[in-house]
Amino acid sequence: MGVGEVVAEFGGVYVSSLLSTWLMTIVCFAGGLALGVLVTIMRVSPIKPLRVVGDFYVQVFRNIPTISLLVIFVYALPYLGLLLDYRTCLIVCIILVVASFASENFMSGINAIGVGQIEAARSVGLSFSQIVRLIVIPQALRTTVLPMTNLLIATLLTTAIGSQVPLTPPELTGMVNYVNARSVAGISAFVVSAICYAGTALLLGFLGNKLDKKVRIVR
Amino acid sequence: MSAHTTSMRDALYEAPGPKTRRRTVIGTVVSLVLLAVAIFFIIRQFYITDQFNERYWSFLLEWSTWRFLLEGLWGTIQVAIMSGIISMALGLLLMLGRIGQNKIVSGICHVLTDLFRSLPSLLLIYFFFLVIPKYGIRMPSFWMLTIPISLAASGVLAEVFRAGVNAVPKGQTEAAMSIGLTHGKIVRKIILPQALRIVIPSLVSQLVVVVKDTTVAYVVSFPDLMQNTRVLISNYDALVSMYFVVAIIYILINYAINQLSIYLAHRSGNKIVTRTSENPV
Repeated sequence: MGVGEVVAEFGGVYVSSLLSTWLMTIVCFAGGLALGVLVTIMRVSPIKPLRVVGDFYVQVFRNIPTISLLVIFVYALPYLGLLLDYRTCLIVCIILVVASFASENFMSGINAIGVGQIEAARSVGLSFSQIVRLIVIPQALRTTVLPMTNLLIATLLTTAIGSQVPLTPPELTGMVNYVNARSVAGISAFVVSAICYAGTALLLGFLGNKLDKKVRIVR
Repeated sequence: MSAHTTSMRDALYEAPGPKTRRRTVIGTVVSLVLLAVAIFFIIRQFYITDQFNERYWSFLLEWSTWRFLLEGLWGTIQVAIMSGIISMALGLLLMLGRIGQNKIVSGICHVLTDLFRSLPSLLLIYFFFLVIPKYGIRMPSFWMLTIPISLAASGVLAEVFRAGVNAVPKGQTEAAMSIGLTHGKIVRKIILPQALRIVIPSLVSQLVVVVKDTTVAYVVSFPDLMQNTRVLISNYDALVSMYFVVAIIYILINYAINQLSIYLAHRSGNKIVTRTSENPV
């Protein structure tokens, strides 16, 4: 079966699986950023237990394999009285992992600013909230554009673990399975999925690079 | 994290006055209470669902359990090390091809690097598991796992190596050219020895990604840590305890690798280049 035939026969499912992958990527990345901001606030707060919990969170979730987290959510949590459907499990797992990397990116963005600037800001009489609002956040956001673009692409690739649980419609990696179970597509099913992934990653990388060139701070 | 992180964290705050100090104390107490409540509810949930029952945990005291887990871990280590070696060699080749003088080779290496970086390792594993056998090629499960993981990692490593090459000052290449060294000699004798030293911490930290990728070994039924865990679960009917234990093992392994890479980076004064810090595709 050629690529053309696969597209002709499964085109509709492919479109919905591509959309499913995109939607999952967007939701997980947005959720991961939001949680990442929260964790980062905890990590830079002056309250020691919050710092410790934030650091601990990051160490746990950046080191756990996503599959290992997924099996806990899908198979272990129901025993503990928490039953979530497959898609929710998947999205929550990816958000938890993405948040830890997002927080690391934010932290290195903050660290890149340099203590001198904070001292300078304080010496001209800016208050704490002014320092954070006017000095820290704008610069931290601008330096994290490139790492966050990479994290977005990594999120896209991580959604492939969706192939390990039953999803309707399947996402792009699950599609290879789906097509192979229904026909003798061979390499074609793989090629179509690969093109979708590579095309998306290329587009995201291009946009991220463009944005970075616009806002980058040359130090 | 490093000392650097702490200093920037602390630099945000002035020396606290009595009022702020009081507020910090209140915040600390409140957050400690909240933390205790959260831990209490998690433990309570384990308790009321009977997951603390001895039969779910007692087999963890037996040596045979750990021997079986260690056998699985050995499988994981074998795949991780082999993938690490192959991806390093392949990544180096891709990078050398890309910076080389042959335009066609350079273009091909560029495309391959970007392609491998933008495909999920799971998709590549399915390719080797579902597609390759259809063309009559049989390979053991070890290679069905190791090759795709290596390919996925090689794309990122090629970029890591390139970052290392770019970190070697341009003046050195110019100096080498001016004394008449050829391109090959410059790369071999001047650039590579320095670039490789620069990227050692990054190579170590990339091992974490490889270890994480091995967890889908059950797809090709290769006996790694995760696969052996599944076997233990069906033997002892102790799903919750086993999945948590194995998750902790993975976290500790990856934490150790990360700390090693931070230590190496700190000692040599080099930065760690990872997937998120390199240039996007």
